[in-house]
Amino acid sequence: MIVLWVIFWLLMVCVALQEALRNPSIRWWEPVLWEGSSALVATAWMAIAIKARKRHAMYLGRPLAWFGRHLAWLPLVILSFIAAIYAMRYGIYAALDRTYQHDSWRFVLAYETVKITLFAGLWLGLLFGMDSHEQWRTQRLHLLQTRKALAEAQLSQLRGQLRPHFLFNALNTVSALMHADVARADHLVATLGDLLRSSLRPPASETIPLEEELRTLKLYAEVMRERFRDRVTIDWQIDESLHDMPVPALLLQPLLENAFRHGVERTAAAVHIQVHARCRDEALEIVVHNSGSTLDPACRDGTGCHNCRKRLDILYGGKASLQLHDEGDGVAARVTLPLGARQS
Amino acid sequence: MIRILIADDEAPAREKLERWLAAQTGMTVVGAVADGMSAAESIERLRPDAAFLDIRMPVLSGLEVAAQLEPSTAPSIVFVTAFDEHALKAFELNAVDYLLKPYDQPRFERTVQRLRERLPLPQSGAAAVAAGRSQTPDCKRLLVPDRERLQLIDTASIEWLEADGNYVHVHTATRSYLLRRSLQDLLAQLGEQRFVRIHRSTAASLDCIESLSPLFKGDYEVHLRNGRTLRLSRRYRDAVFARMGG
Repeated sequence: MIVLWVIFWLLMVCVALQEALRNPSIRWWEPVLWEGSSALVATAWMAIAIKARKRHAMYLGRPLAWFGRHLAWLPLVILSFIAAIYAMRYGIYAALDRTYQHDSWRFVLAYETVKITLFAGLWLGLLFGMDSHEQWRTQRLHLLQTRKALAEAQLSQLRGQLRPHFLFNALNTVSALMHADVARADHLVATLGDLLRSSLRPPASETIPLEEELRTLKLYAEVMRERFRDRVTIDWQIDESLHDMPVPALLLQPLLENAFRHGVERTAAAVHIQVHARCRDEALEIVVHNSGSTLDPACRDGTGCHNCRKRLDILYGGKASLQLHDEGDGVAARVTLPLGARQS
Repeated sequence: MIRILIADDEAPAREKLERWLAAQTGMTVVGAVADGMSAAESIERLRPDAAFLDIRMPVLSGLEVAAQLEPSTAPSIVFVTAFDEHALKAFELNAVDYLLKPYDQPRFERTVQRLRERLPLPQSGAAAVAAGRSQTPDCKRLLVPDRERLQLIDTASIEWLEADGNYVHVHTATRSYLLRRSLQDLLAQLGEQRFVRIHRSTAASLDCIESLSPLFKGDYEVHLRNGRTLRLSRRYRDAVFARMGG
């Protein structure tokens, strides 16, 4: 843009110079002064337009509004332009003991108005084109990032469910239950089926209602509770008014998986798991807490957490967070989402 | 009667084995535990003829439990696992039996059949111990008896070992433990990089040896950093010199 601007004004100076060379009554510096003064003032106004582009970015989708908002300034631009350049020219001519001669003021006003309107139209058009392109590119990038993060989350969930230790141990639990309690074994097979189905089905959108996310989470919890039924208890405390709150799809299961992997599978002691969802300080807070373990520092920044955080960042741009820390007699994973805020 | 121990951290898995083993004639389940430490303790205390060990268990894995056993007295071991690619290869190489979860009745019967055939043979558990050790080559923890219980100690804390009949005294800076093991087998388990045999009945940690001083007839005195002096017999002299870098 700057390069174009410089070339444009150099061309203007060159054209004026060429005319001056043919006309012996004009000194060489005169056209340079004329065009130079115009360039100076025009540059000042252009700089203001570029500075203010962020404020107008939201109108890029409606070109008429965008141009209207810029062109509203045109009368002021024309008047200040004429005042400034003629003041400069008079001043410099006077300093060189000459008089600046020009056409009548009425003609000057008409001539400059047409000229400036044309130039403004040209350069605003360029600015509009560049800004629209930039905005389109950012939006597309964001959309791609969002889709990629969701696809990664889905893949990691699927991988989790197909992880041999989960799948084969779950099947072995069914096989064990079958001989003791057919109805329960039957129910476990159905739960496992529902869980696998939900993992195979791509999420309809980036965010889903909390209730729906919890439904999948409960399927996973049920399979795990059956496997470790003699030493794991799970307690759900969900604020029912939050059921329709949008949350990122597939966000919570990795957290519960961690609670089992690091909290349950590493000890033979009884473990109590709590899942809370509540509204706190204008934010939706979801906590997965397991008793009886301390936080493994390697896990605080593990890939699972890293992916979750990256996704929250893409979706909420720094307004959401995921924290892991020792809390009470165990470890808590705490997700905080901006309440009601639309994703950026 | 074949006495069997079961170790698995998932209750349904234990129950399945208990039910199926109880249905076998001539077999009885003497214990069912949920983690590796309890498994090792129960093997020590109950001396079962055979053990079904889950590989993935809290604190001590099934493989680590096997690795800590004395091969000559270890029970026959059947590893039970959902998935463990590397271990399965080792089992096949050592002809150790294993059950892949989930398994059905015919597969389970085959395992029981093999167990019945193997049990009368001497050292029927040795292969499983070898497989366990090959899968946990970096032995950083040693299971030692501490009164009625077992406990894990850091192998880096061991200063020297002293054979005493069928037992070995394991000396650390703070205290000693008595293990029913042969010195040779214990050294094999601990790995010979860190320990050097200095006498028919003694071995010392290389890190703990401060200096050597010659005695008559080619024997030496070994001075440990803790102030203790041990005897280096000439039979082991060359090996020790080589290990200590000349």
